[in-house]
Amino acid sequence: MSLRRYLRRREWDEERQRELEAHLTHEVDDNIARGMTPGEARRRAYMKLGNPTMIREEIWKMNSLVGVEELGRDLRYALRQLWRSPGFAAIAVATLALGIGVNTAVFSMVNGLLFSSMHIQDEQQVLMVGLRQNGGSYQPALSMPEYQALATQTHDVFSEMFGDQFGLDGLSMAGNKPDRVFTDYVTGNYFDALGVKPLLGRFFRANEGMTPGADPWVVLSYAYWKSHFAGDPNVVGRQIALDGIPVTIVGVAPKSYRGLSSILDVQAYLPMAMIVPIENTPLADYNKQSNRNIFAYGRLRSGVTRQQADAALAVAGRDLARAHPADEKTTELRSFPLAATRFTGSLDQSNSFARVSAIFLGLAGLVLLLACVNVANLLLVRATVREREMVIRSALGARRSRLIRQMLTESILLAAFGGIAGTGLGLLGSMLLSSVNLQTDLPIAFDFSFDWHVFVFDAVIAMAAGAFVGIVPAVRLARANLNLVLREGGRGVAGQGHKFRDALVTIQVGAALTLLIIAGLFTRSLVQSEHMDLGFEPNHVLTMMMDPGEIGYNPDRSLTFYKDLLPRLRAVPGVVSATTAMSIPMGMIDNASDTLTIEGYTPPAGQAPPTVANNVIDTGYFQTLQIPVVEGRQFTDSDNDKNPYVAIVSRKMAEKYWPHQDPVGRRFTMASDPTHSLEIVGVVADARYGGLSGPIAAYFYTPYAQHHSNSLLALEVRTQGDPAVMAPEIERTIHGMTPALPIFEVKTLHQALYSPNGLLLYQVVAGLAGVMGTLGMVLAVVGVYGVLSYVVSQRTAEIGVRMALGAQRSDILKIVYRQGLWVVGIGLVLGLAASFGMARVAHSMIVVSPSDPVTYVSVTALLAAIALLACYVPAHRAMYVEPMKALRQE
Amino acid sequence: MGRSQKEQELLLGTLDMLILQTLVMGPAHGHTIAHVIEHTSDNVLEIEQGSLYPALHRLEDRGWVSSYWGPSENNRKARFYRLTAAGRKRLRVETHRWSAMVEAIGRVMGTARRAEE
Repeated sequence: MSLRRYLRRREWDEERQRELEAHLTHEVDDNIARGMTPGEARRRAYMKLGNPTMIREEIWKMNSLVGVEELGRDLRYALRQLWRSPGFAAIAVATLALGIGVNTAVFSMVNGLLFSSMHIQDEQQVLMVGLRQNGGSYQPALSMPEYQALATQTHDVFSEMFGDQFGLDGLSMAGNKPDRVFTDYVTGNYFDALGVKPLLGRFFRANEGMTPGADPWVVLSYAYWKSHFAGDPNVVGRQIALDGIPVTIVGVAPKSYRGLSSILDVQAYLPMAMIVPIENTPLADYNKQSNRNIFAYGRLRSGVTRQQADAALAVAGRDLARAHPADEKTTELRSFPLAATRFTGSLDQSNSFARVSAIFLGLAGLVLLLACVNVANLLLVRATVREREMVIRSALGARRSRLIRQMLTESILLAAFGGIAGTGLGLLGSMLLSSVNLQTDLPIAFDFSFDWHVFVFDAVIAMAAGAFVGIVPAVRLARANLNLVLREGGRGVAGQGHKFRDALVTIQVGAALTLLIIAGLFTRSLVQSEHMDLGFEPNHVLTMMMDPGEIGYNPDRSLTFYKDLLPRLRAVPGVVSATTAMSIPMGMIDNASDTLTIEGYTPPAGQAPPTVANNVIDTGYFQTLQIPVVEGRQFTDSDNDKNPYVAIVSRKMAEKYWPHQDPVGRRFTMASDPTHSLEIVGVVADARYGGLSGPIAAYFYTPYAQHHSNSLLALEVRTQGDPAVMAPEIERTIHGMTPALPIFEVKTLHQALYSPNGLLLYQVVAGLAGVMGTLGMVLAVVGVYGVLSYVVSQRTAEIGVRMALGAQRSDILKIVYRQGLWVVGIGLVLGLAASFGMARVAHSMIVVSPSDPVTYVSVTALLAAIALLACYVPAHRAMYVEPMKALRQE
Repeated sequence: MGRSQKEQELLLGTLDMLILQTLVMGPAHGHTIAHVIEHTSDNVLEIEQGSLYPALHRLEDRGWVSSYWGPSENNRKARFYRLTAAGRKRLRVETHRWSAMVEAIGRVMGTARRAEE
């Protein structure tokens, strides 16, 4: 059967008609010749041939693509039906669009965080190397000698091994003030191994990046080239400086490639060894066996499995241990997929973002479920109204499967419209989410733009929603006894629908309760964490970051700079105290932790030595943050590298490692600095530095004067009045000393707490959950009200009869209410169970208890009250049914 | 509709073969084809004329016959069908298959008759 035939089938049919007429004429001629009367001749001819219309129909069918044709007819019919009831269509489409829109927005976020492409060649072939020691957790960083050993040893499994390390540097153009950029120091083969091609100029060559200072080249990111070089096409060849070291721009990266860090967008790429002159790294540190800053990646050779790569890495790890027993005795190596580090520093810890994503997709799914149930309800009511239409069609010969397909076509058409509108809504929502103010000047990658994943997801959920909402009325129709409908004179088979409707209401109440409880838990978590005692006083503190390294200072000069700066700041009127620290609470930069060897403490058998978070601070720190000193002393100016190395521990750390003992005077050693044993000189109260939920973690502090290799510090200034007002004066003081020093992340400590690591997460999460909870509640209330109203209207006659037989109005109220109560009650119980389950999954995100009774009781009571109110209106209406009127309606 | 697919196929195939065989003698229109089949079989094969046309349509669709409008023997307009080269080839295949089948069935029935005797 050809398409041409299909398209010309009308013409074809006319020809068949003429042909059949010709046949009849011949037969009639023959019959007359045999001596029949013309009438008889004609009758016999027809009898012999059969029904010409049927024959034509058979041929017509042979000429048509049956499926396409029926689908086309169904679609046209469905469109006409929807067009005829625009109110119903609009409500159904809008409801589905809301549900699909919420899902789209959430999915686009999850997609952006977890699944979006990094725009490199054969992404799944690229693996990341993880290293662990002492059986601890795998970390993504290697040292230069380790990287070099691997690069030569894994040649059988990786076609290329490449690496990079990140930096924050000051980029300046001819005498201008430097601009702080997020830099990536890459091995020469980095771009080739990734399969990324330059937009302009060239990338690095395989032999570049080996010798410190030998390749003063820089590649700009697309975004940075656009924003800071106005997209100048002649940018290649220009001289700029990084931390005062002159480099030449050799190329621009393509727009799609934004680096392998999923948190920050790289702004400039440099050959690996350029980090030595630019960041003033002593060559001994750069080549130190235990100085692990390099992220190493390998591209699998074709046909090599991850297991084979892991085996090769394990061998390399054992070789390292043999060659360098001092630094590598317990080293183990393993590969990880490239996405493993997304949003978690560690490789093998369960990914909290995956968990959050699952929760949000779950919540969004509940909203969609509610939307679908509402639309299914509408369709169910409509199906009852249209029962007569269906009966007539079936009486005219339509098969039942045809009718069911017709109903499904209608619901899928609705869902398709809903899907289109929902995608639009989702785009809006996703734009809102992307525009969340992250309160930072760092180039954070927060891109939730749509890719094909999102559209496929939308198409799938729209189709699923369409099938779901359509299947209920369709199945009901399939079960309905059509003869009964005709006999009942259009009163329908309402009785049969009760079970379906009750189930739908139960689902609605349950889903809405789950949404509201989860939203409630998150909201209470936000409120509680905003008023939480963090162990320090965040009000009246101004913070800002700076790195004298960005204007070419070496670590010693930076130390002197800060030493001069602090007294000047403390002298500014309105300043109570001032200090510097490597990291600020809930901050995103330099949240260090170190593996410790503690004298007199052996970790329990089978456990790795403790890893404890720490901070490097200057004098005046505990006054500025108002962290009480419990025991011993604070750091003083004499705690410098000429005097014994010291440390201050938090109370939690003291209790954990020196229980029932006096920790002052005890000693421990950091793995990053094994040559110095630190003596504890004081104990301070606990403070929360990261993560608002869960138990407070152990923490310790070391003085800047003894650990000044890193000059990127946060200044923290306690002020008498509003700290924001003091910012210009403080910056003026700094620039009075070093006019060119870039200052960034200027904010109050209170604002700084709203970082993606701190309260911002709770704010976003609570906001999102709140929006979904409200949506869910509105949908549920509308649903419950709608169903009960409909049921009452169906039972008007029955109620009339009951009243005519002497039932009291209160009896009627009871009947209607009892039905509502049961359904709502079961829904609430189911909802509570679901909430407990979901809260358990989300526990790491919830500051209050996951079974917080306040939330559960109040939200359940609220929803119950609202649901009962939704029952009341139809019940009330039923109570005042006029018996005579109701009976006359029959 | 009630007949099984297989049975239908067998019958359809047979009708197709009969039509093709009729057309070996030269082009003919539907009415003639029906009569020729009935007469040559001494009215044993009284085909339902109505099913003739869908069959002709199918044959034309497969390229085994071609058709044209022309004057009939009593000077009326009629649609004539003519065997194509592909149709001739097809007829040979069908004839061969048919005789093979008849022979096979005959052998089976022959055994049956001998057994009866």
